[in-house]
This record gives sequence, C-alpha cells and structure tokens, in this order.
Amino acid sequence: MSLNFDPSYALEFDFGRGQIRMANASERVVVPCDALLALCQGASEDAVRDFGRRLGTEAGRVMNDRLGEAWQASLETVLEHLGGELALMGLGSLGLERWGHALVLSISHSPLGSTSDLLLGSVLEGAMQRSFGRDTVAIKLMRDDQKVRFLMAGHAGARKAGDWLAEGVAWGDVLSRLASRGAS
Amino acid sequence: MNQEINKLQELLARVQRNAALPRTLVSAREPSAPLHVAPPVAFATPAYVPPKAEFTADEVFFESEPPPPAPDYVLPEPAVQASASLDASVDELLLEDPFPSVPPGPSYNEVLEDRAPHAAASSSRPLDHEDDVSGVVAISEFAEEPEELLEDDIVEMTASEAAALPIANHALDELSFDDVGMDHQPAAPASDDEPPASSSRSKIAGTMDEALARAAEQIQLEEGREVPLKTPPPESGPQAAVALPTGMHAPLSPDIEELLEADILQTAGVRAAVPTAEQLGQTIDLEEPRGPSLELDQRAAFGSEPLQEDLPTEELEVTLPGREFGGGYQEDLMPPPEARQDLDAHRQRVGDDSIPPPPESLAQYPSPQSAVQSSGFAPVAAPSSVTTDSYSESVSTVTIDAPPNTEFAPELLARPDIGPSPVAKFIRTEAPRPKTFMELLDSSLALGSD
Repeated sequence: MSLNFDPSYALEFDFGRGQIRMANASERVVVPCDALLALCQGASEDAVRDFGRRLGTEAGRVMNDRLGEAWQASLETVLEHLGGELALMGLGSLGLERWGHALVLSISHSPLGSTSDLLLGSVLEGAMQRSFGRDTVAIKLMRDDQKVRFLMAGHAGARKAGDWLAEGVAWGDVLSRLASRGAS
Repeated sequence: MNQEINKLQELLARVQRNAALPRTLVSAREPSAPLHVAPPVAFATPAYVPPKAEFTADEVFFESEPPPPAPDYVLPEPAVQASASLDASVDELLLEDPFPSVPPGPSYNEVLEDRAPHAAASSSRPLDHEDDVSGVVAISEFAEEPEELLEDDIVEMTASEAAALPIANHALDELSFDDVGMDHQPAAPASDDEPPASSSRSKIAGTMDEALARAAEQIQLEEGREVPLKTPPPESGPQAAVALPTGMHAPLSPDIEELLEADILQTAGVRAAVPTAEQLGQTIDLEEPRGPSLELDQRAAFGSEPLQEDLPTEELEVTLPGREFGGGYQEDLMPPPEARQDLDAHRQRVGDDSIPPPPESLAQYPSPQSAVQSSGFAPVAAPSSVTTDSYSESVSTVTIDAPPNTEFAPELLARPDIGPSPVAKFIRTEAPRPKTFMELLDSSLALGSD
C-alpha cells in the first residue's frame, strides 16, 4: 500500500453559506490560535485531553477512509497520511522516530506552542485509538523551540517512563532503560 | 689719298649693302660644296682684321684710340665654302621661325634658283634679332661673318692647303662661342707637358732624383698643412697585401673535429705516442700555474684501502674512503687556540694536568671512569643497564639501575599501574525493522510491561 497523500480540494470554502468543509469530513471552524490556547488553559486537563482525543479520532478516521486498511499500512504511509491530516488541521508537522522497539512521534512547528503539548499528545492518542484500535499513552519526552517528542507506550511503560522523567533521567536513558528492561 | 678714300667709301657702302641683306639666306651657300672639303672654320675665327698690307696703325684715321695690338699670327682666312659647312637641316631648324609674323620668304631652292649668280651677296630681306623669336641667332650671326669679308681678304686655297689646316669641330656642342676676337689674343695652346690644373695626379718622375725631390717637397707641404680637427687620421686602414714568398703560407685554422678525433684515438690507445703533423704545428706552450698547487693525494693514515691507481692523472674523481674511516681523527691534531683557555681551566679544575685525557668523539659513549672521584660528586654516568617495560603498547616506562658507587641516584617517577577499565560503552540494539506501523506500535506498547 503506497497511496500518496493528496491534499487537493481537501478544504472547501462555501462563502454563500459561510461554511468551511473538509473533504470526507464535517464542517471546520477557523479560529485564532491564541483563542484556542486560552480556552485550553482555562479548561481542565481532562477536558483538554478529551478535546484533543476527539481531534485525533477525526484525523484517524479520515486516514482510515483514505487508506482503507490502516493496520496493514507501513510506517511511511501512516506518517504521510496522518501527518497530512494533522497539517490540514494546522497543528504542525508530524514526524516518526524509531528507538529500538520504541515508537516516538514528534510534532514540530506547531503554532500552539509549548502550552498545548497536552493537547497535541491527546490528538495522537485519539488518532491511534481510531486508526489502530490501540489504547496508547503519549508521554512527552522532550521539548524545544521547534519540536516536541512523544513516546507512544502502553500504560505500564508510560508510568515507568513518567517516573524516570520525573526523576530527571534523560529521555535517552529512559528509552534505554525501557529497551533494556524490555529486552531483559 | 682720294683713291683710298673712295675705296673706303666703296667698302663702307658695300658693307652697308651687305648688312641690308636678309640673313636667312646668308647661310645658303652652294649646296654643291662638299662639307668635308671646306670645314666650317669661320665659326671659330675672330672678327675681321684688316691685313697689314692695306691698313696700318698710322693710316687709320681713328687716331684717338690706340691701335689694337697686332696679332702675331694671321689666322687663315675662311674660305667661302666654309660657311656651307653648316648642316642644312640644322639651318632649317635654327632659322625657321615657328611663329612668323610675316609671310615666310622663298625657300632655299627658290632662292638658289633665282639668285644663284648673286650667290650670297644679294639675298632676301634682312633678319634682325627682333625678328628671330626663336632666340637662336648665334649661328646665323657667325655665319654672316664671312659675308663681311672683302674681296681682297678672300684667300684662295687649294685642296692641299685646306687639308693642311687644322680640322675644325663639326659638332655644335663643341663650338666655342667665346669672343676671342675682342682682345685678338687667341687662346694659347695648352701645353702637353703640364698637367691640367684640375688634375690631382702628378707626373711620374723620370729619374730617381726627381722622385726624391718631389717626395721631399710633399713632406714639407704636408708638414706645413694644417690638419682639420674634426677629421682624425685613421688609426688603421686597409693594408696592401704582401705576397708571401713561395713555399710559405699562413697557418690554417685548426679543425676541431680532427683534434677531437685525435684526442679520442690517443685516449683509446691508438696512435697514442704519434701526434699528427697538424698538432705539432699548433702546439701551444702553456704558462706554469702561478697559484698554489692543488693535489688530491691520499694520506697514508687512510691508506688501508688502495685507491684506483689505474685512473689517469687528469681524472679528478677520487674514490672516497669507506665507512671505516668515519669518525676518525689524527692524534696529532691540536685544539683550536680559542679553546685552549677553556681546556686549561677544565684541566685545572679536574686536577689532572699531567696526563691530558684524549678527546672523545661525540659519536662514542664516554669511557667509564675507572677510579671513583674523591670529591664525592659523581657526574651523570651512563646506567649499567637500561630496560624498557610497558604495560601496554602505548605506555612505556623506563627503569634505570643506578650504578652501586653513585651517591645520588636519579629518581624517576612512573605512573601507577592501572588495570584496563571500560571507558565508554556502545550498545547497538539490533531491532528488526517492523514491516507495518501496527507492529511498531505494538512493540512500543509492550515496553515497560513486566
């Protein structure tokens, strides 16, 4: 399966009705980033997490509609299509890293900034849930000016990694420990 | 007297009548007269001079003027036929008016036919200088001279007498237009004995005395002559080739190829002792060298290995001695004078002035001192044994065993023995690349789970 992502006519602006529609999706609303951030900052963590999951679920659904059988899709294909859907939402550029057995997804150039990392992680969790039917936890490993890295792990691994990160273990060592512990 | 006056008047009238004659016909003489018989001597003759028989200086009534000097000789009177010596064609060219202002007169033939009995005395109209636009009137004027002669002046000459006369020039360009009759002094004939004034060559001396006299005069003239300053005398000039006596000739230039060939043959042993004749004739004796003689001589001290003796003496390549001579020196060498003071000070400090130690080469180890120094100061002596030990390939330590008789042994510090320990650890996990995203996601979810 090597279907390329084609963003042509992905968005449809209906000026007569004042609506913006996305192909094979419902209506969209273009809102300012700072307004969205202010909303997220005022809302509870669960509300933001739920909001993000809903965004990811929608992206996963569209990707599944495009790919048909997403569970057979390769790394590149999933990255291309899921990244395309997130780019259409304006959330940033999706990246994929493989550290041994660990799957690391990164989002760079996000207009939401560092205050939206919970939101972005929740988007990724909703996409994995919707596309592949797996409950995943996105653990933020690091953050810099341009990029934020999330470790896609299960609940057990996410808890350990969270603890090590809270202890000050470097995110590389966290990955190494997860890999060594998992290997042993 | 009256008779003479009448005669003169008659002569004057005749002269005037002749002057009124046309000059174009003056030269028209009898064409039958041969030119070669009567040469045109009339052109060179001076003006008319009355003969002595008729006129004398006393008889001339022009007493106010002195009589002209009588010529010493009487030129031969020109014959009537002399005027006919002019070339008819030349006369036509000279006398014809290219731009006649008046109708031309009758031609020569007509005049001759009409006035043949009158001869040249009564001719056509006169011709003045103004009428002659061509400007050439000299010939006609000279040709007119004979017409002014009197009948008494005409001297009849026979053919033999005419032949005896000097041959006149026929060419127009050789005609002399000088007024020789003004002074009635004909040009003196040039002397054949004297060279012309423009000639730079002197006559050849007839006798030896004359030649010597002329040479002396020439020397005197040259001594008195001032030499121009801007023209220095030539330092050298072409010299007359002196013919060598028979059997002698200048030496020829040496042939380089022959000389080289002779040298090659001599070196190769062919005709080594027989130089060629050309070489014998061109041998040059070189001067003895004035500088110090340079000889590459092998010293007897280095004479263990014989050199190549078969080399010729002119060969400057000498085989250098072998390596066994490296570092050698002569025992009789003396230290330089500037180092003698330092050497004496050193000997005084050491206290061994009697026996000077032999110098040692820098390439050799110093010889161990047999006796222990009494001062207690032991110089740094060479260790008896030097060993090299290393714990690894990159780290080496040197252990020196000090000699037993030294009081101050050098202290060398070595790094402690450190066993090999891991400095860095590189772990490379060979995780198989998942084919699908689902596999990677599942493996990642499995991390951290017991």
